[in-house]
Amino acid sequence: MSKTYFDETHCAIGHPKSTFWQWMLTIDHKRIGIMYAVVMFTFFFVAVATAMAMRIELFAPGAQIMDGDTFNQAFTLHGVIMIFLFIIPGIPAVFGNIVMPLMIGAKDVSFPRLNWFTFWLYIVGCIIALSSLFNFTGEGLDFNFADTGWTFYAPYSLNTGTNVITTLVAAFVLGMASILTGLNFLVTIHRLRAPGMDFFKMPLFVWGIYATAWIQLLATPVVGITLVLAILEKYFGIGIFDPSKGGDPVLFEHLFWIYSHPAVYLMILPAFGIMSEIIPVFSRREIFGYRTIALSSASIAGIGYLVWGHHLFTSGMSDLAKTIFSFLTFFVAIPTGIKFYDWVATMYKGKIILKSPMLWALGTIVTFAIGGLTGVTIAMVGSDIHLQDTYYSVAHFHYAILGGVVFLLFAGLHYWYPVVTGRMYKEGVAKVAFWLNFIGINLLWFPMFIAGYLGMPRRYFDYLPEFEIYHQVSGLGAAVILAGLVLMFWNFISSWKSGEPSGTNPWNATTLEWHLPSSPPPLENHSKVPYVDFNPYEYHHGQPVVKFDYETMKRID
Amino acid sequence: MSHEYVPEIATDRDGNEYEVQGWQGDFYGGKLGFWLFMLTEVMMFGAMFLALTYYFSLHHQDFLDASASLNRYLGGFNTVVLLVSALTMGLGLLKMRSGDVKGAKLMIWATIILAFVFLGVKAVEWTAEYHHGVFLGLDALQSGNEHSKPFGQILFFGMYFTMTGLHGFHIIIGIGLMVWLLKRINAGKVAPDHHILHWNIALYWDLVHLIWVFVFPYFYMIGAGDVTGGITHGH
Amino acid sequence: MGTSTTVNYQEEKGAYYKVLVALLVLTAITFAQPFTFLTDHNFGMQLLIGLVKALIILFYYMHLKGEKLIGWTVVFAVFLVMFFFLIVMIDVNNFQFGDVSHITNEVASAGSGSASHH
Repeated sequence: MSKTYFDETHCAIGHPKSTFWQWMLTIDHKRIGIMYAVVMFTFFFVAVATAMAMRIELFAPGAQIMDGDTFNQAFTLHGVIMIFLFIIPGIPAVFGNIVMPLMIGAKDVSFPRLNWFTFWLYIVGCIIALSSLFNFTGEGLDFNFADTGWTFYAPYSLNTGTNVITTLVAAFVLGMASILTGLNFLVTIHRLRAPGMDFFKMPLFVWGIYATAWIQLLATPVVGITLVLAILEKYFGIGIFDPSKGGDPVLFEHLFWIYSHPAVYLMILPAFGIMSEIIPVFSRREIFGYRTIALSSASIAGIGYLVWGHHLFTSGMSDLAKTIFSFLTFFVAIPTGIKFYDWVATMYKGKIILKSPMLWALGTIVTFAIGGLTGVTIAMVGSDIHLQDTYYSVAHFHYAILGGVVFLLFAGLHYWYPVVTGRMYKEGVAKVAFWLNFIGINLLWFPMFIAGYLGMPRRYFDYLPEFEIYHQVSGLGAAVILAGLVLMFWNFISSWKSGEPSGTNPWNATTLEWHLPSSPPPLENHSKVPYVDFNPYEYHHGQPVVKFDYETMKRID
Repeated sequence: MSHEYVPEIATDRDGNEYEVQGWQGDFYGGKLGFWLFMLTEVMMFGAMFLALTYYFSLHHQDFLDASASLNRYLGGFNTVVLLVSALTMGLGLLKMRSGDVKGAKLMIWATIILAFVFLGVKAVEWTAEYHHGVFLGLDALQSGNEHSKPFGQILFFGMYFTMTGLHGFHIIIGIGLMVWLLKRINAGKVAPDHHILHWNIALYWDLVHLIWVFVFPYFYMIGAGDVTGGITHGH
Repeated sequence: MGTSTTVNYQEEKGAYYKVLVALLVLTAITFAQPFTFLTDHNFGMQLLIGLVKALIILFYYMHLKGEKLIGWTVVFAVFLVMFFFLIVMIDVNNFQFGDVSHITNEVASAGSGSASHH
């Protein structure tokens, strides 16, 4: 039995013998990815629980289980955890780490010790965020989490007595972790591709990670400094966000969204990369339009920097700026549309295999299409004046983030589960969990488009009786989706120990992570780095063209 | 490098051999990585300059008045100090790459001393400003009291202390990095045939200088000359 | 891998000193400009001189001359910052509420009193 990456590892400091310290100090990208996943999904469920509490509160008008101030803290907590602790590390932290180096034939990332440091920086950020939940008073713990919404708009965020500043510090540290991950991946992709693998022979997931890394690197510092300026404003009164000194709250919004809009592309680009991996495998044919998908990832990253002002349409920006941003925002939908076309074209005349990764991918095509198209409707200034800050916006971004990014993250969990664990999960259970999630998301969020259009504002603790029916349908959807999530994770956790061994290539795919000598992979990945003189998705009559001898990694086709 | 790293060889179907770039011993990778890190600093200070320009636009004359009240000659002296320190840092790296380790260390020491001079002059400036009542937390930079400066001046000085403060913080980090570099040289970990750390720290120092190249004129020089000079003509 | 010791100090140091002189001259120009030429465009001139200094530092001290990939990444980042400036400044220069906004019409306090900007 050859050794896998669970049996041995490289460490940042020394050569510890104990399993615990081997995990704490490991610089192996595969183990680091797993550790990110464990922490991230733990926080994910905390945020889901917070959301469930809100849904229970909103099931009927009036107060049910919490008061208005607590409700404000609840939606802030939900947003801060979901955005900063879960979805922004997201796919890059898990699959960027585990799979990307495998796909380019590398033995690790360019800076493995920096990768280790970055993970622990992320943990420090999480701890600081947790510490902002409570104040330690004489009598015990006082729940004093921020009540500003995850967007922390000045001047309220600087005047409220809740623990905003600690959360800003946490966000700053988490931002540094995101920057360093992006930096590491950029150098890795530029330097460590296997000989012969030029940029247009890379798998599309790597393109997605590459485009994302540029956003991580260049957009995050802007929000970092915005948080620093907010902290300086609070403690030293520098004046830039304080209207009583001539400061302009709209400037805060500009600086905040200059990062936070590109951040959503940071979330979706790796997810689209996963889609581009799954569709060819489960259609048994080469992807349609490889080059356009690759270049569309780059253009989404580029154009995504230019559109942030559509979050400020109702904030007092000049009409000229609103027009410019609306115009630019329409452009960013085009490369995404191109991808959708290419994915559907790939499936045409393919032999579709409806296994669970493909179900998740197909489901996402539906839900993200809804999310993306509703985004276009509010890119128009006129309609946005009516729909901004209503449940319509909330439904739009949940369809896009949950129904796009998270669903594809789940697709990736199913698809790459054999690579990480060497096992296969229960397919029947996975299918049921998918349908629960898919039905749940539509029950939960579709009514909100209607409620928002009819005037239900977002972040409101109470509402008029005419909106009650929408909240009740949403509440039902929340219960369904929760059942789906729990079932899915139970499937993953129980199959890790007792699932069938999967073999190295259970899906009969073509990319390099499926050509490892053992399952789970050995510590140093491929036995030898291959020479890449082939395209990533070569199928002939539904079978992969390229075959390897796994000892020498020479082609034998 | 603790373990001797031997690069792997990949072979194509015709038998041609290609050296595989590993993550160990990648000088260009180290350079690229550090440049990418420096781009984050560009974005960070860029956003601060953006905030500054935003308020310069809203409060044009106040900014010119506030700028005129800064001590241009202390600022200019610091500009020259930093300029010379960039030379010493660059020459130090050149000496290292040409094999003169002792000379390299002397140059690093010279740079450290100049960095301290810079910080000292900055301290003198800030102290003088404090004694004139212009400092964060003092009445002149609060609103609504009898000493309050006009909005534009409050914002100018708020950004002045923020940006020169953050820049000074980066100088302190630079001093720390240079001290660490000296230790690594003494330990034999940085040498003429393995100097990526020295290269990158020299780049860092150049970045610190680059930021000052824009900070200095923006704060100290825009109010110079006839006070109605600037983008718009005077009123 | 770029770490050979074939660099000749005496040959290369000249470039460093030339850059020093150029930067010192430009610093002198920075001081002289507001009193001597194009004084109606102080802001623009100061930034232009700064830009020239920055380019010299980038090309020679930071060895950017001759770097392809790294050069393009710097260009990309700078372009992004320029774009942020462009749009935000378009926004603030077309501020529609200047007449009624508190931040451009400060209440005159006892010791100060800069009138609202246009």
